[in-house]
Amino acid sequence: MNSSDQNRKSFSIIERYLPYFLIAPALSYLLFFIGYPLTQGIILAFTDSRGHFTLAHINYLLYSPQSLFYAALKNTLMLAAVIIPIQVMIALGLSLLLSSSFVGRDLALYIVIIPLTISDVAGGLIWYSMLSTNGFFNKFLMAAGLIHSPIHFFGYQYRAMEFLAIVLAEVWRATAIVFVIIFAGLQMISREYIEAAEVFGASTWVKLRHIIFPMLKPSLQSALLIRTLFAFQVFGVVMVLAGRDIPVLAGEAYYEQTELYHYGVAALYAIIIAAISVIIGYIYIKMFKAQYIREVGAG
Amino acid sequence: MRLSRNTRKAISKAAAGVIVAIIVIVIAAGVGYWYYTTQQRGPTKIIWASTQLVPPEEQSFVKGTLLADFKKKTGIDVEFVGMSYSQMITRITSEEQAGKVTISLIGDLHGDLDMMASKGYLMDLSKFGTLPGRTFPKVLMNYAKLHGIQAYIPWMTATYVMVINKKAFKYLPPGLTEEDVIKGTSKWTYDALLAWAKNLYEKTGKKLLGFPAGPHGLFVRFLHGYLYPAFTGAQVKNFDSPDAVKMWQYLKKLWQYVNPASTTWDAMADPLLKGQVWIAWDHTARIKDAIEQEPNQFVVVPVPQGPKGRGFILVVAGLAIPKNAPNPKAAWKLIDYLTQPSTQVEVLKKTGFFPTVQEASKSIPSGALKVLAEGVNAQLNAPNALVAMIPSLGSKSGDFKSIYITAFRRIVLQGEDIQKVLSELGPQLMKLFKETGAPLPPPDSG
Repeated sequence: MNSSDQNRKSFSIIERYLPYFLIAPALSYLLFFIGYPLTQGIILAFTDSRGHFTLAHINYLLYSPQSLFYAALKNTLMLAAVIIPIQVMIALGLSLLLSSSFVGRDLALYIVIIPLTISDVAGGLIWYSMLSTNGFFNKFLMAAGLIHSPIHFFGYQYRAMEFLAIVLAEVWRATAIVFVIIFAGLQMISREYIEAAEVFGASTWVKLRHIIFPMLKPSLQSALLIRTLFAFQVFGVVMVLAGRDIPVLAGEAYYEQTELYHYGVAALYAIIIAAISVIIGYIYIKMFKAQYIREVGAG
Repeated sequence: MRLSRNTRKAISKAAAGVIVAIIVIVIAAGVGYWYYTTQQRGPTKIIWASTQLVPPEEQSFVKGTLLADFKKKTGIDVEFVGMSYSQMITRITSEEQAGKVTISLIGDLHGDLDMMASKGYLMDLSKFGTLPGRTFPKVLMNYAKLHGIQAYIPWMTATYVMVINKKAFKYLPPGLTEEDVIKGTSKWTYDALLAWAKNLYEKTGKKLLGFPAGPHGLFVRFLHGYLYPAFTGAQVKNFDSPDAVKMWQYLKKLWQYVNPASTTWDAMADPLLKGQVWIAWDHTARIKDAIEQEPNQFVVVPVPQGPKGRGFILVVAGLAIPKNAPNPKAAWKLIDYLTQPSTQVEVLKKTGFFPTVQEASKSIPSGALKVLAEGVNAQLNAPNALVAMIPSLGSKSGDFKSIYITAFRRIVLQGEDIQKVLSELGPQLMKLFKETGAPLPPPDSG
């Protein structure tokens, strides 16, 4: 035993515990900013004002005639189901278009990304004033002689149109984020693969199907994940364009909290949104990962 | 795992660095906390807790202008703490029950102060004497005498009125004149409003009547404080009655001529300015913008009357001192300051809350505020007035609103059977008052 062996021993202790030290700040951050509120939320959802356990909030949520839970759940799912495919398709199309070079490409790129800088409430307000009965859209159509009386987009009687307005505003506002991710993924695909395919005379479709799509999958996964999670938090745009005519989960959480002072019910909504997000995130990751491994294995 | 000597050295250096950083942060946080909790004792400070003037813009006016001026005049430092209604009730209750009161002055609505006085939490303010140089209207002073004491000093009032774009006067229905509407004569009825809205729709093709029926709009106040008293004589106790059925039938008819986008509006200033509606009902504070921008285009008028009278809500905010308050003398000085006519006009200008002292009304500058004040005055003095006050239900006040909004949603928007909805929701409404022990609000209580 010489001194260098002893040195090694004391080093190995540091080596063993160092990772925990290094991860401690991140871990305490998570515990404090996510773990603590989450616990508080669950406590809030299942206790009454005296701190006793209660199922009253769940009962209110599910059975009270004043609760709009089922409508909110249905609308949130429907909005997600309509908006996300449209956004992914548009973003994919735009990315492919913008990855070829043409005059004004940079300018087009900037214009596509502009909506990303606008907050959801502001975006909602822009579309509200554009689509209202004496807004730009109706004035334009009337001046062009296409319609005689304005098209109503807003109000309980016109919920279908409100739905359309929300879809328009959300597609306009949040397609950019999907686009940015997919576009970045597209840039990462090495030209060599495509050139190799071209040597063998592959058609555009074959290149898309067998090179670009498989290699885009990780980007698509992140884009879908982020977009779906955002879709379940949809709030500002809906509040501005449809109020509670089209209730959504996050909107109801806010309404129950600020207008009705049902803190427990609001916490329940938050937990439900979180649970749905976790489940969907899990499904996406499983789905894409399995395919990715299979392909690698096959290759 | 074998690491080279140099790597190990580097790791141990990094580890030492991390540990030192953590220790430094912990010590700094400890010192900061100690300093914050023990060393920050400046000059005497009183706490003014208020449920009014809480929105950021109003709060910055209170802190930056009113309280800064007050400090200059009296040397008293005031900490303004804005809180929600339920927070206020919870805090006062727990402080009074624990006997450890930190709040010196309370600014709250009549209903909540009534509740606090009934529990014996408020000081009798008559022992401080009178406030010279200002006259409070008798009706307001009567409301402020609660449970045998002078429970609060009337601070500000607000109400909800109708705003008419002058263009709409060209389409008045037969039998109704501009003067009837502006003065609020007995011809200005809900039936006349229906006829007017119908006429507007038929002549212009547009639904030009509007209400703030969005998620954060105050339409619910129109239901329980205007329509219900006007049609049934009470806000709550006749919720499920033959008169109430007639009222809902009326509202269904009226809704045919109401701008459908109403369900997305939280405040009427914008739709009025954009010309989407010509007749609107809303809180004075939420239409102030429209009138300020175009004082010559709009008039503020009393609401119509119904079969049982002209129901309208009078919001009265009062200033009260809790029992065992740490500094009641300083609090009284602040009350004195806040009720001076010049302060009250300042508050009206900035927030749209109306003065409670008659001397202030005289010094309101002409223009938008005058237009508003005239309308509010006309409503207060119109015949058949039936004053309604918002009930004090504490944390259940949300459920109270929810019941009326749900009734509206189901009856008017979804077309459900009126009697069925009322029979279903009526018992829930009564239960709220029974559970909380809150008194029925005027005019129910007579």
